[in-house]
Amino acid sequence: MASLAALTLADARFPGGGHVHSGGVEEAAARGLITGVPDLGSFLSGRLRTTGLVGAAFAAAAVVAAARPDAGWAVLDGELDARTPAAAQRDASRAQGRAALRAARLSWPSPVLDALCAVTPRPHHALLVGAVVGIDGGSPAEAARCLAYLAVSGPASAAVRLLGLDPLAVNAAIVALRPALDAVVAQAAQAAALSPDRLPAPGAPVLDLMAQAHVHHHREQVRLFVS
Amino acid sequence: MLARARIVVERRGARTVVRELRSQPPLTLLPQRGAVASRSPAATVHMLSSATTPLGGDDVGLEVVVGPGAHLVLTGVAATLALPGQGTSGPSRLVVRLTVGDGAAVQYLPEPTVVTRRADHRGELHAELGAGARLRCREVLVAGRTAEPSGRYLGLTRVVDTATGRPLLVQEQELGDPTLHASGAHLAGRRVLGTEVLVWGEDPPTGLAGEWWSLSPLAGRGSLATAVGTDAVTAGRGLAHAIAGHPGWAATTLTSAAP
Repeated sequence: MASLAALTLADARFPGGGHVHSGGVEEAAARGLITGVPDLGSFLSGRLRTTGLVGAAFAAAAVVAAARPDAGWAVLDGELDARTPAAAQRDASRAQGRAALRAARLSWPSPVLDALCAVTPRPHHALLVGAVVGIDGGSPAEAARCLAYLAVSGPASAAVRLLGLDPLAVNAAIVALRPALDAVVAQAAQAAALSPDRLPAPGAPVLDLMAQAHVHHHREQVRLFVS
Repeated sequence: MLARARIVVERRGARTVVRELRSQPPLTLLPQRGAVASRSPAATVHMLSSATTPLGGDDVGLEVVVGPGAHLVLTGVAATLALPGQGTSGPSRLVVRLTVGDGAAVQYLPEPTVVTRRADHRGELHAELGAGARLRCREVLVAGRTAEPSGRYLGLTRVVDTATGRPLLVQEQELGDPTLHASGAHLAGRRVLGTEVLVWGEDPPTGLAGEWWSLSPLAGRGSLATAVGTDAVTAGRGLAHAIAGHPGWAATTLTSAAP
């Protein structure tokens, strides 16, 4: 049984502001690291296994936290901050979290969201998604799948717009990531009940350094996406 | 090989003295002595490989305790080659624990680690920082020797501010999967990954970036420099550019360069 919240949050039409972020694709395309669908598939696979796994694990942990009387949002928030060394990526995550929070409070009003909001009015996107899926009765795996999918679907859609790639071929490239996606979801769901300091923290070096470079280019030159 | 090394330094007057020093092959610790050392407020200790290490199955631990106000510099002497062991020896492991007291400073600067084909190496670096403690940790990883595929490496860095209990940086790095190395999100086909953590006074208000390097302020305190390159020299230069833009570090190097 699928969580309606997980479906809604993963929908490109969800008014959570996800469309302004390219997840590093714009900078990678500007550097010639992505020129066609095969490069994009490789980029997305690396993104999924690093940043995607971190997000999925924290979304899954947020589902577990949301069910507790004392969720411990501050600890999860701090651990996720420490796993996001690029300031530009922390900003992008919190901007998306805040935008999604506005929509979520109308759709899934809950003291759980109030408690998350009391810790920070700009929650990380992964924690917001996990909290909402938890409120909706979804499982850690469902929240992890939502986050993992968003980690590749948003950037893939940005690549279609930036490079004029064939949307059908890009869609097939996303579906081809299925084994990696399943592995990330399984790992994230397994980690959900761990103490937050033991959640996975895989680094994505080039993604991190491009995120910082993108901010400068965004200010100095014309760029389509915020991140 | 199973080996444990331990070093304890403390501040005496304006200087840092080594109070305890214990090491055994394959990791030998050698304090710098002589006129230069006696004039420096910091204690410098060299880390030497006194046997071929890490080999599969090696289990090496290094515990470093820097007392309040003391300043320790730990430097590597030569690049480390991670090699496979014989038969089913399992992975090699190096675990470093840095406990940095209030107002103390530590610089941990090993030379690059080259992960040769069939090696399986694990690294852990845990740093606990007291109030106002400073930390500089460099890690340069090389995925295989020239024209050699990379062995497997898994590394964890965890830096915690003990005064607040807050984690400043938690990061794992993985080498050895060609698909991951090739990805534009991971190494974009580069062979060398350099990172440097600086918790050293003032951080830059926003991040800095060059073509293949960046310096970003962390959420709590501290900054992370990241560089990738086709060789260790290029990645090292990227790191040098990055940390030159760190205001806290730049202030220290300017002061110490003065006569």
